[in-house]
Amino acid sequence: MTKTEKRNMVLGLLFISPWIAGFILLTLYPLISSAYLSLTDYSVLSKPIYIGFDNYERILVDKLFWQSLWNTFYFAALSIPINLLSAIFLAVLLNFDLPGKKIFRTIYFLPSLVPMVCLGVLWQWMLNGQIGLVNQALWPVFDTFNALFGTTLTPPNWLADPAYAKAGLVLASMWGVGNAVVIFLAGLQDVPRALYEAAELDGCNFWQKTIHVTLPIISPVIYFNGIMSLIGSFQVFAVPYVMTNGGEGPGRSLLFTATYIFNKGFEAWSMGYACAVALILFVIILTLTLLATRLSERHVHYASK
Amino acid sequence: MPPIKILPITLISLGLVLLYSLVHNPAPPPRSDGRIEIEYWEKWTGFERDAMADLVNQYNASQDRVFIKFLSVSNIDRKLMLATAGGNPPDVAGIWSSNLSVFASNGALTPLDKKLAQSSLEENDYLPSVWQQLTVYNRVWALPTTPGSNALHWNKRLFREAGLDPERPPKTIAELESYNDRLTQFNDAGRIELMGHLPMEPGWWSANWSIWFGGDIWDGHSRVTATSEANMAALDWIESYPERYGAEALMGFRQLSGVFASPENPFFRERVAMVLQGPWMYNFINNFAQPDFEYGVAPFPTLREEDYGASLVECDCLVIPQGAKHPEEAFTFIEWLQRPKQLEALSLAQLKFSPLQEVSEDFYARHPNPYIRVYRELAENPKARIRPQMVTFNEFSSDMENAIDEVVRDEKSAHDAAEEVQNRQQELFKYKHQNWLQIREARLAEWDQR
Amino acid sequence: MNSKSVRLVQRICIYVILLLGAFVFIAPFAWMVSTSLKPLNETMSLPPRWLPSVIQWENYPLAINEMKLFWRYTANTIFLCVMTVIGTVLSSSLAAYGFSRIEWYGRDKVFVLVLATMMIPFPVVMVPLYTLFREMGWIGTYKPLWVPSFLAGAFNVFLLRQFFLTLPKELEEAAKIDGANELQVFWLVILPLAKPALIVVALFQFMATWNDFLGPLIYLTDQSDFTLALGLQAYQSKGGGTDWHYLMAASTLVVLPVVVLFFFTQRYFVEGIATTGGKG
Repeated sequence: MTKTEKRNMVLGLLFISPWIAGFILLTLYPLISSAYLSLTDYSVLSKPIYIGFDNYERILVDKLFWQSLWNTFYFAALSIPINLLSAIFLAVLLNFDLPGKKIFRTIYFLPSLVPMVCLGVLWQWMLNGQIGLVNQALWPVFDTFNALFGTTLTPPNWLADPAYAKAGLVLASMWGVGNAVVIFLAGLQDVPRALYEAAELDGCNFWQKTIHVTLPIISPVIYFNGIMSLIGSFQVFAVPYVMTNGGEGPGRSLLFTATYIFNKGFEAWSMGYACAVALILFVIILTLTLLATRLSERHVHYASK
Repeated sequence: MPPIKILPITLISLGLVLLYSLVHNPAPPPRSDGRIEIEYWEKWTGFERDAMADLVNQYNASQDRVFIKFLSVSNIDRKLMLATAGGNPPDVAGIWSSNLSVFASNGALTPLDKKLAQSSLEENDYLPSVWQQLTVYNRVWALPTTPGSNALHWNKRLFREAGLDPERPPKTIAELESYNDRLTQFNDAGRIELMGHLPMEPGWWSANWSIWFGGDIWDGHSRVTATSEANMAALDWIESYPERYGAEALMGFRQLSGVFASPENPFFRERVAMVLQGPWMYNFINNFAQPDFEYGVAPFPTLREEDYGASLVECDCLVIPQGAKHPEEAFTFIEWLQRPKQLEALSLAQLKFSPLQEVSEDFYARHPNPYIRVYRELAENPKARIRPQMVTFNEFSSDMENAIDEVVRDEKSAHDAAEEVQNRQQELFKYKHQNWLQIREARLAEWDQR
Repeated sequence: MNSKSVRLVQRICIYVILLLGAFVFIAPFAWMVSTSLKPLNETMSLPPRWLPSVIQWENYPLAINEMKLFWRYTANTIFLCVMTVIGTVLSSSLAAYGFSRIEWYGRDKVFVLVLATMMIPFPVVMVPLYTLFREMGWIGTYKPLWVPSFLAGAFNVFLLRQFFLTLPKELEEAAKIDGANELQVFWLVILPLAKPALIVVALFQFMATWNDFLGPLIYLTDQSDFTLALGLQAYQSKGGGTDWHYLMAASTLVVLPVVVLFFFTQRYFVEGIATTGGKG
């Protein structure tokens, strides 16, 4: 290394030293200590007692753990595609040069600013099976349908019904889709006009243009958002926690892995066990992200810059 | 060089923070009057809190050595554990007796035996059903504030309208259910308008239904008994609800229930005619029900006649967390509260009954709740029961609530639901119990030292 | 039909969809405010009333009163917001500078590590973090909530680095010729230019702290130290429950500052979010 290189190295490391400290204290140390604690029986007040792989063995047969994992996957599988699609859809519509588009953008964006706790409280109220606003809007639809086909269907009791509780949570999370809409809007503005014009010359209509021009070009943005919402959906905690008043939902349908870690660690005080669950969650997220990256290499189109 | 506008922003922010830290003082300085400050956390809110606040003020005025700082804390069980683990617990905390076994086995509490031996307080002063709850692992962990028992509360007007004798509450489960069928009303749309009785209302004792069915969910030692004859009978009884009234209709009905402490409580709104509840109902009925609300209180019906008079006795109690800074002063305060005068004042203001054996002559005359003797007699009754002091009771309770939920929604048979709870909880309990046995000796020695 | 009228029909369709959608997105806000102004019995009436028969403004002071420490919670939250914003802006811009304006061996490899740490959700590390802060005697204090913000979070470093990379190299070269050292370049040249990006980071951090729930939930023990989010949840789950009109009033009060802040800083929000969208 030359003298300048050495100097730069020292300077660079000095500048990033806050991050290095943070990385060691807030990421590395917790992960390592988590790995150790997961091999112990540890209830905060007493010293951790080494028990080998007991916690992991118990997790394997722990019905609640599997249910929490299933709920988490279910929620991710339901919410990510729905949220991505609706965000892209809204972004495409908002990208048109229409009168009042600024106002529309603001309206669609605002809900994403609502704090989680408020969101939980509000949607617990919105999703009440009898007097909630959601079902008030659905009743006319169901009434018409019933009148037409002679059925007696009723809107679901959302948060009181295990079959619909997660769908209710997805509705609540969709309300906050505005963040992703803004990202996609920015992505759309990057699409060169010339490409659209070329497609028009080839006789493409609006949807063909969207599918063949817009989507491939914004695919890196879609990928990035997909990953971020994947990670986000694996740490969903506050909204279901608040919606169920700190509970687990009907039939434990809103017991997510993050909730389970919290319950085990800070309600049952089995911190060793909670660490083991947390590590498993970490491995799952890691695997999924790597898989997604692999997949994206094949399907994501990166424009050469 | 351009002028930096970030600097003023940073300075203003820093100024704000400084200003704030001047106003906000996380670690209060020693009191200027030289008194020792005792922090006391209590779970109560509203009038129950005010009742204790009065006593705290009296205590603060009665001497000049100690000052009690009284704080109302929500989710107290978790907050107390967090604070104790963090090494910064309050000196006194008011928790539920049902949490004692978990807190004690985790080493979060100071045993009170030595302090009790030096004090004038004695076991015989208290109702056995109350004292029993304060003792876990043969040690006393808490002293009581106000106990409660639960009983059937019924709406007399609705009884009359259904052609039932309003002065004759049901005494057996069979009778309760025949009343229920007469009281329950559906509207044209198939919605339930009025329920005679609903086991999920309020749903606070889901794990303890077996009490009224002549059994328990734990053998007191090493076995969970969720599938005992009594608990199965209770679950079968609950299973009959969706069978008779329809799972959908029940779910819809429950969605219309407002929060407990409000006029939208279905019992106060006269949408449920009979509920299992406790002495605090007097206050809530006064506050939230119509002025002409007419109700009675009697022991909750039992499966077998010979069990009639059984109830669950619970107790709010005071503990000294492990690591409290002033345990001696804390105990002195608790001891002061245990005087009959103070306990009766508290019971009166909280509209409950006294945990002491002896009750002063005019206590009942002064008590506003006309039914207070019913609750007290339930607590005196030898059939009175307490929550199982099982370290995994919280987990059990959560599983049982879920099982009942599944049964009511008609997703599982009572039998399958109970089996599942039994298998899971027995495993969990066995594991926790084994761990306990391993650290038992060390813990006991630790406690004896304190 | 000619292509012009097809266009027009298309635009009208889109307009109608957007209008309907906007209605759906506003409805929860409207419902929240409407409920917060109702008398209690109208909150639970069936069929529900869209608007209160009488507007009960007193629900707001009553809710604040019932929440007891509402103003205290607000002050606590603002304190935490200010601390974390200062911490984040300072530490992240330093780190971002180190990752963008200085060439050093292995820099980009380390930066991949920065990005990778974004993948670790808080619940994964919360138990060991709790035990760490416990060892330090920080439980029940604000320190676990603001000190980490002085240790450059990955997301903000990423965002600022993206911005720093767009600044021309000549800037610092000129300054260095004038005799400025690296820190002076950072403080006197880059930071003033990066003001829009810094505002974005500050805004995001403000929002994150204002919203944070799980952190305060496990670190704070004393009710008088609670933040608004935690205080609202505690209010919701208090013994006996909380009536809906009060809950909605309290929620409205917690949402309101965020909405107001947004209207003043809209441009930064939108630009900031757009930058985070994986355009790099």
